[in-house]
Amino acid sequence: MYIIDAIMYANLLTMMTIGFTLTYIIAKIPNFAHGTFAVIGIYVTYTVSEIWGLNPYLSIPLSFFVVGGVALTQYFFIIRPLIKMKATRISLTITTIAMEIIIFAVVNVYIEYIRKVYAAQGLYPVAFLLKRKDFTIFNLPGVFIVSSILIITITTLLYLMLTKTKFGIAMRATVEDSELASVMGVDVNKVNAFAWFLPGGLAGMAGSIMPLWFQAHSQVGSYIIISTFAGSILGGISSIYGAIIGGFIVGLSETLGVIFLSDTIGSWITAYRLLIPLTILAVTLLILPKGFTGLIEDYMDKRILSKLGERK
Amino acid sequence: MNSLELITLGLLGLIAYSSIYIIASVSLNFQFGYAGIPNFGLLFSIAAGAYTTGALTGRLAMWYYGIGNDLDYIMDNTKIITMLNSKLSNDPLGGIFLLLITILVAMLVGAILGFIASFPAIRLREDYLLMMLIAMGEAVRIIGTNYTPLVGGTLWVNVPNLFAWTGLYSPYVIVIMMVITAILVFFFIQVIVSSPFGRLIRAMREEETATVFLGKNVVKVKIIVMMVGSSLASLSGVLFSLYTGSVIASGFTRVDWTFWPWLMLLIGGKGNNIGALIGAISVVSARRLVIFIKHDFEAIFPFSVVWLEQILLGLALIFFIIFRPQGLLPEKPTKPRGINYKDIASNILKKK
Repeated sequence: MYIIDAIMYANLLTMMTIGFTLTYIIAKIPNFAHGTFAVIGIYVTYTVSEIWGLNPYLSIPLSFFVVGGVALTQYFFIIRPLIKMKATRISLTITTIAMEIIIFAVVNVYIEYIRKVYAAQGLYPVAFLLKRKDFTIFNLPGVFIVSSILIITITTLLYLMLTKTKFGIAMRATVEDSELASVMGVDVNKVNAFAWFLPGGLAGMAGSIMPLWFQAHSQVGSYIIISTFAGSILGGISSIYGAIIGGFIVGLSETLGVIFLSDTIGSWITAYRLLIPLTILAVTLLILPKGFTGLIEDYMDKRILSKLGERK
Repeated sequence: MNSLELITLGLLGLIAYSSIYIIASVSLNFQFGYAGIPNFGLLFSIAAGAYTTGALTGRLAMWYYGIGNDLDYIMDNTKIITMLNSKLSNDPLGGIFLLLITILVAMLVGAILGFIASFPAIRLREDYLLMMLIAMGEAVRIIGTNYTPLVGGTLWVNVPNLFAWTGLYSPYVIVIMMVITAILVFFFIQVIVSSPFGRLIRAMREEETATVFLGKNVVKVKIIVMMVGSSLASLSGVLFSLYTGSVIASGFTRVDWTFWPWLMLLIGGKGNNIGALIGAISVVSARRLVIFIKHDFEAIFPFSVVWLEQILLGLALIFFIIFRPQGLLPEKPTKPRGINYKDIASNILKKK
């Protein structure tokens, strides 16, 4: 059971870190609104499942497009004008924080609206769990299987897209040098828009899966964003594959670490769960600021250098 | 209560909150406006000041007066504070002694936390530092709300009224003390930024590589700025808890204690202390006004005013960054003291 808990959380966190890193490597700014994107996903699920009374799984594609749309709006109305005005990266980052505040407030307005309008049905959207609406296969919860399949599919598709399609290659070119890429005929604007839409969609999906296994509320965003930072930085923030590994490691160590610590020290430690990703973040920045990707790159560099040495 | 008293009370609140937020926004200006360190963890310094006041002042007073040794500080808090207030009401020296100790310890704690929070990422690019600082702010809040012996966790602790000896005038005396502290902090930072150190941090903000090339230890300077800035910001936490007379750990949210001061700074103008001051006063006035009209407002809208306030906060941040990134009062080149530009200019002209 613990293992399922841990893998579930790692799956969700990996979806978050992939998106966060993708935005970071293309737009070169950390998107602080990323955590609240997941919160929108959570409440899309709530609407679909509790208010419309449909299967909660239907909300996964819906939140992908809804939250992707929100992220795209953010790009077109805030980020792109500012990039054109040659705003500094700090200014851009502050707007993402402003976006986080706005989304969080709007979601809370929506929660209060539901509570007022559907008061007779006794709906309680402040914090909720939809585990009972899930199905099971071979004693495994359905959401575990679905999220695992999703994360494998996303990884494979991303890999295929980045290596085999023209758009993926254009994207990698933009990452390397956006000006040069635009000279070579890459539509940088399209790449940028995609780098906001897809992460938004992935975060929305992660959020919409969450209530099927974890207690979901509007504060989730401000906690999960810190785990996302930790995962992305552990992975090296410069590569999507690093983000996948980092997200998985942080997700697993957060859940298993809390379980291990509450068994050995006492259950009071669970309240301090957030300190685990914080410690990972601090330690990574101290000893391995380039993350795993940097480690692998250094190893590759050394190998190439030693081979060159042999030839001499 | 007649209308005159109401107005006095409103004005007192306005002055008090202005002083609290002036300290926050001016110390943020020192860190971000002058030194270019984007401190999105301002919350942790302010919370450090408030938690120190909540955890230390009462216990210290208990030890100082030797009372309540058989009582639990958190559980019997109200009883203890009542006893302390009656002791403090005829002991001016004790009150001032406790105030000074609290301020000193809070500043020390703020400086240490500033060091801990910035140390892992201070050598790296600013966005790493930003993530670290935001995470640190959350961490301090989580420790505060969960570690009960500190400030009562989800409960709250009361703070003894250190100005109880002034009797009925104590609300006024507290506010006067707050204004004096805010003025001192303001001028302290003004003096720093017009000193050679101020030129150094501005040089660092503009061109870090060049500053390193001139033989300056940028990492050390940044750590000093973070420590000084957050020890000053912790003062606003101390003042806030003394003013409200209590510390509620969960009240220290990112929105209230990081993003509002940021908006004040961005409205007023980064790199300009007077701008930060005006920004703080205008935003605080607007927010106090909202409290007055809150009830009429909530009758119209079907949701609480808090969320509307937050949406406006976010929109204002975006608006100012897009349309007026330099703020209302843009940064001016400061004149270093001891250099007379008129003389230099006339000398050059004479040579020609």
